[in-house]
Amino acid sequence: MISNEAKKEIDFWVSKYPEGRKSSAVMQALTIVQKENGGSLNPDLINEVADYLEMPVISVQEVATFYENYNHKPVGKHVVRFCHNISCMLNGSDELISYLEDKLEVKTGQVSKDGLVSVKKVECLGACVGGPMCQIGDQYYEHLTKEKLDNILEDLT
Amino acid sequence: MSEIEIEIDGHLVKASQGDSIISIADREGIDVPRFCYHKKLSVAANCRMCLVDIEGVPKAQPACSTPAANGMKINTKNDKAKFAQKAVMEFLLINHPLDCPICDQGGECELQDVAMEYGSDVSKFNLGKRIVPDKGIGALIQTDMTRCIHCTRCVRFGAEVAGIVEMGGTGRGEGVKIEPFLTEGIQSELSGNMIDVCPVGALTSKPFRYEARTWQMNAVQSVARHDLVGSNIYTQSYRGKVKRVVARDNDSINETWISDRDRFSYEGLNHESRALKPKIKVDGEWQETDWQQALQFAVDGIKNNAINPDQLGVLASKHASLEEFYLMQKLARKFGSENIDFRLDQTQLSTGSSLESSINLSEIESVDHALIIGSYTRLEQPMINHRIRKATLDGASVNTMNSKNFDFNFKTKCDALTAPQKLLSALQSVLKAVHLKTNQDTPNDVSDVTPSEIHNIIADDLIASANGVIVLGEHLNSNPNSLAIINLIEKIASATNLKIANITISGNSHSAEKVNFIPSGNGLNAISMFNDNTKAFLLMDVDSEYDFIDSKSAQGHFSKEDVFVVALSSFENQSTLRSADVILPMASFYESSGTHINFDGLVQSYSASVKSPGESKPGWKIIKVMADLLDLQGLDYVDSTQVKEEALQSSKVKSSVDEANIQSIDDSQVTTHWQYAPYASDSVTRRAKALQESNVGMINRAYVSKMTAHKIGLSDDDLYLGVPVSIEESVAVDCVFIHTNQARRA
Ligand code: SF4
Ligand code: FES
Ligand code: FES
Repeated sequence: MISNEAKKEIDFWVSKYPEGRKSSAVMQALTIVQKENGGSLNPDLINEVADYLEMPVISVQEVATFYENYNHKPVGKHVVRFCHNISCMLNGSDELISYLEDKLEVKTGQVSKDGLVSVKKVECLGACVGGPMCQIGDQYYEHLTKEKLDNILEDLT
Repeated sequence: MSEIEIEIDGHLVKASQGDSIISIADREGIDVPRFCYHKKLSVAANCRMCLVDIEGVPKAQPACSTPAANGMKINTKNDKAKFAQKAVMEFLLINHPLDCPICDQGGECELQDVAMEYGSDVSKFNLGKRIVPDKGIGALIQTDMTRCIHCTRCVRFGAEVAGIVEMGGTGRGEGVKIEPFLTEGIQSELSGNMIDVCPVGALTSKPFRYEARTWQMNAVQSVARHDLVGSNIYTQSYRGKVKRVVARDNDSINETWISDRDRFSYEGLNHESRALKPKIKVDGEWQETDWQQALQFAVDGIKNNAINPDQLGVLASKHASLEEFYLMQKLARKFGSENIDFRLDQTQLSTGSSLESSINLSEIESVDHALIIGSYTRLEQPMINHRIRKATLDGASVNTMNSKNFDFNFKTKCDALTAPQKLLSALQSVLKAVHLKTNQDTPNDVSDVTPSEIHNIIADDLIASANGVIVLGEHLNSNPNSLAIINLIEKIASATNLKIANITISGNSHSAEKVNFIPSGNGLNAISMFNDNTKAFLLMDVDSEYDFIDSKSAQGHFSKEDVFVVALSSFENQSTLRSADVILPMASFYESSGTHINFDGLVQSYSASVKSPGESKPGWKIIKVMADLLDLQGLDYVDSTQVKEEALQSSKVKSSVDEANIQSIDDSQVTTHWQYAPYASDSVTRRAKALQESNVGMINRAYVSKMTAHKIGLSDDDLYLGVPVSIEESVAVDCVFIHTNQARRA
């Protein structure tokens, strides 16, 4: 269920677009709803967003599956969003992702046993100069190495 | 639009400014490969297969999305164009499976054809191919989404033509999947067209799956007969059985589309209840016999029971052919009986033909307003509804006066929920409003009516419309005051200068009216025929359980000891087995030649696509022989063309609607409106398995509003006349709207 507070927030974004263009706010709506639901979406929520914005539900699903910032399975408290696009890949992102998977004993898309961290491969985050890189919360971490990763993970609580 | 001249593959051609290169090439017969382009859909330009070279432009350009400009020199076949096309082909084949031998599309696949010409025999890509799990989209369409090339034709068809946004492209990059959000199946009466538009084997016909290869089948041009449109189709048959029906282009009728009913109903032809041998009932027991005996038995029965000629009744379903209607009425009239009718499902019958439509199919899409009275056009006449939808896309408004708010695939502006018993007074109120607003004299019958607010709105829209239409639909047939209602509608139309689209009748009813398949003089009609005097009946394709408005009295009458019933029928219905005395097995749809007259009055003839099974024979031949045995003169035709020519000479009896005498009804009583769902329309469709299993086919609900439910003591999921109840506010008060495939019980 989308809470009334979330609906208010969505309304704020809807009001930024011309009359009758509610659907323009779909990305913000999904973001708000995902946040409220602990970081992930599910079919019920997608249906509700569609109803609320008067859109066909498949159109909401298209948006929700196109962008990597929406999760369709429950996530950990922190999500390590690891770039696996070309610049990062050439700089060794594959190896670092495997390292992370081994260390946390998870596969990408899964949540660590303690529920603290999950790992997700994402498309280019526009920080190619700093590759390999990842994003956790609102923070970018660049020029990653195994050591750096160890330290970052240690700091996550 | 201004005219331009371009050069394409060395030919100078004229075109209009703004025409896409591909449409010009198509017109000139120049072949440009394509997947996503479809002439009836918006341009997506996402497959890139149609790349062509334009002189002076550094890179090849997509022909489907590039408008031609004056003086353009286009080359579709030079090295640059071919190189680009081959490169795109290579990309498209990266993930496409090589399963043509087990793919139903094999042999009619656009990808296969184009790959033959542009594909390379080796691929640079030796990585694994992706596999896409199937969600399944219902009983009619088989999905194999691994084969999908993401052209989005099906998505655009849904959104633009069918008016349902159910399919979409989810995911991104290599992970894109074309799928619906839900797995409940596509909810559309036009869904089968997705099969036709899909260029590959991702969407194929489910009932046709693995039945035959396209090149083994025999395609025959034919005409669909389930509705008033007469959509153009090809029947495709293999070893004497119709295996598939696909659309045939005809812009003024069905464009490129056909309804699911027209596409999938053929399955009913192979139903196990087909009547294959003549049968007679002796001492209450059915016996198989040969044609000669059966016919003699039939003729003797008629002679012995109809001692006076006017004791014979002749009834046919609205789906018979022009030729059959003509011969049946001629037989009856030569025999001396005027008891002839095809209007089995109407409560009130006029002495003339039904109200004439004053608009053409193709004109419907350019109206500026439509008022729909008594119809769920979307399911009842899908192709006419499609034209109305097109009009709405161009800005037309639609108002409705129905006993339930239906799920139209366009937005309606104002829905005046009206229970059947209140429709007459509602229309009087609309007429009065029109008269007041246009300062016209008010006739006596509406002088003391005060128009309600909603009827004022409806009247305003009618008056404001410059080029509108009033659509009257088949729900009126069961109205006890249908004639008076149709009268009123005609008056409203003439007072507001609107056109009329009469879709109260369906199937091949226009043929029946053309040859006067209705009683004249003292003849009895489909209601009055069931009296003690009528002792012998000749029925064509009639299932008395389903087809009559009052099936109880029809069945009761047929079952009487002293009533002799000859049934020409393609199926051994339960009702026929119970009440007939002879069953003469008749050819069904696509099994005999015939003629259909459509909404526009267009006469379309078709030949037989397959031979009829067992010993069944074309209806017109059976009647001809019966006429012979009855010693009636003038029915010795050599072929059906001769019958047709003579039939077309007849002229129909004009409608004479003034005769309506108004039945007074207590309009506070709850009425039941029994409306057949679209796949209960005729004996063949009722037996088409996949259609019956589809979402539309499973419609079976009695809708009632909360207040009314309370009044008559119903709650959700109760059974009302055997149909599960849904309590919804979308139903007029004091009305139970039953929408079902089940035989009529009210
Ligand atoms: S299913 Fe067919 S029509 Fe739909 S996108 Fe895929 S290839 Fe195109
Ligand atoms: S490729 Fe990794 S941030 Fe751009
Ligand atoms: S047909 Fe032109 S891009 Fe697909």
